[in-house]
Amino acid sequence: MNEPLKKTIEALIFVSQEPLTLDKIKSVLEGFPAEEIEKSVEEVVADYAAAERGIRIIQTAGGYLFTTKPENDPWIRRLLQIERKSKLSSAGLETLSIIAYHQPITQAEISALRGVDSTYTLKTLLEKKLIKIVGRKKAPGNPLVYRTSEKFLVYFGLNSLEDLPSEEEISKLLEEKNSES
Amino acid sequence: MNELNTADASETSEGYQVRLGIFEGPLDLLLFLIRKKKIDIHDIPIAVITREYLDYLNHKERINLDREAEFLFIAALLIYIKSQLLLPREKDLAEGEDPRRPLVERLMEYQKVKAACEILREKEEEQLQNWKRAFLPPLSLEEELDLMEVSLFDLAEAFFLLMKKKESENYRLVRGKDVSLDLKMKEILETLREKKVIDFLQYLGQQETMEEALVSFFCLLELIKSRLVLAVQERLFQTIKVWLRKSRPESDADE
Repeated sequence: MNEPLKKTIEALIFVSQEPLTLDKIKSVLEGFPAEEIEKSVEEVVADYAAAERGIRIIQTAGGYLFTTKPENDPWIRRLLQIERKSKLSSAGLETLSIIAYHQPITQAEISALRGVDSTYTLKTLLEKKLIKIVGRKKAPGNPLVYRTSEKFLVYFGLNSLEDLPSEEEISKLLEEKNSES
Repeated sequence: MNELNTADASETSEGYQVRLGIFEGPLDLLLFLIRKKKIDIHDIPIAVITREYLDYLNHKERINLDREAEFLFIAALLIYIKSQLLLPREKDLAEGEDPRRPLVERLMEYQKVKAACEILREKEEEQLQNWKRAFLPPLSLEEELDLMEVSLFDLAEAFFLLMKKKESENYRLVRGKDVSLDLKMKEILETLREKKVIDFLQYLGQQETMEEALVSFFCLLELIKSRLVLAVQERLFQTIKVWLRKSRPESDADE
């Protein structure tokens, strides 16, 4: 296999702080055959997946990104002196999942689905950059329209919106719950 | 892990005093009651569920008026649906004309959202254990929206960029005229009192000599350090503006 190419790709992914797409890699490595690049990327990813490594490359938001392996989490937190990372509030998560499934969507539509005013929650999600404003709806008052961001995908480790929990997964969970009670 | 379990737990420990905060909203509460009473969501006995629902609202201790309105809205909706069901009709309702249907659809949709949340929550937990290179510890202070106080490095960088530009414009060192730090500082404060705000770069650019510009730069740094003025950038890469701080003690200004 093309060892120098593999090394270069490894370096490119390493320096990227955001998911590096295959297209981007190809455009940087102009002149190398696309097939060879694809194969090398796969190999680099596989190399890191090997058990003896502490870091790996994940595929998220349509690109490749270095992350640590989960088993190292307690030690990393000790190093960074972080007790635990903060999770999203229930209201935040609820609002976010409504946006994810119903995007593009307005504040009024979100609030109607939740039965709860969502203005403040939206503001927090915007600050966290998990959602973005993509324009205004052609409706009375021209309300702002929201979508989930690329950071949203990375946050949940999704490669694209198609990786969101599927209809089947959701109904299965609901069935389980109903039989429980 | 999920809200329903939390609600269950507190119900057993404090009788029926489940507090509002546990539920994300009225729909969440409604779903909880439906599940608790083992009711078929497609055939809700409105009278039973309304009683349960109102009972809950009456029993809770502290309330937040904003949120209560949302809870009361659904209570009103339930009573409205019941009244629709009680109204005598000439013809029997056709399939799908059930007055409960819009609410049931809303609940079904909401139930799906809750389930999706549960799955996403697991994914979140997984991902929180994967550290990415771009990770920065969260800032403990909430930033003021869109306004960034600039750091010394931003100021210095802006200054050196300006000097470089000036250099190419034949900006010469003129000797013989001494500029005192104290006087300059007074001048800057004077200008600020007059104009309220000055553009950092523009102000330095206006200075006649390199020396004066340098002294002005140091004055500004000194003023920022003593917290008499505030250097602020509206957005990244925009011009830096200098303001007088409002809360400065009067005596400092005259020193």
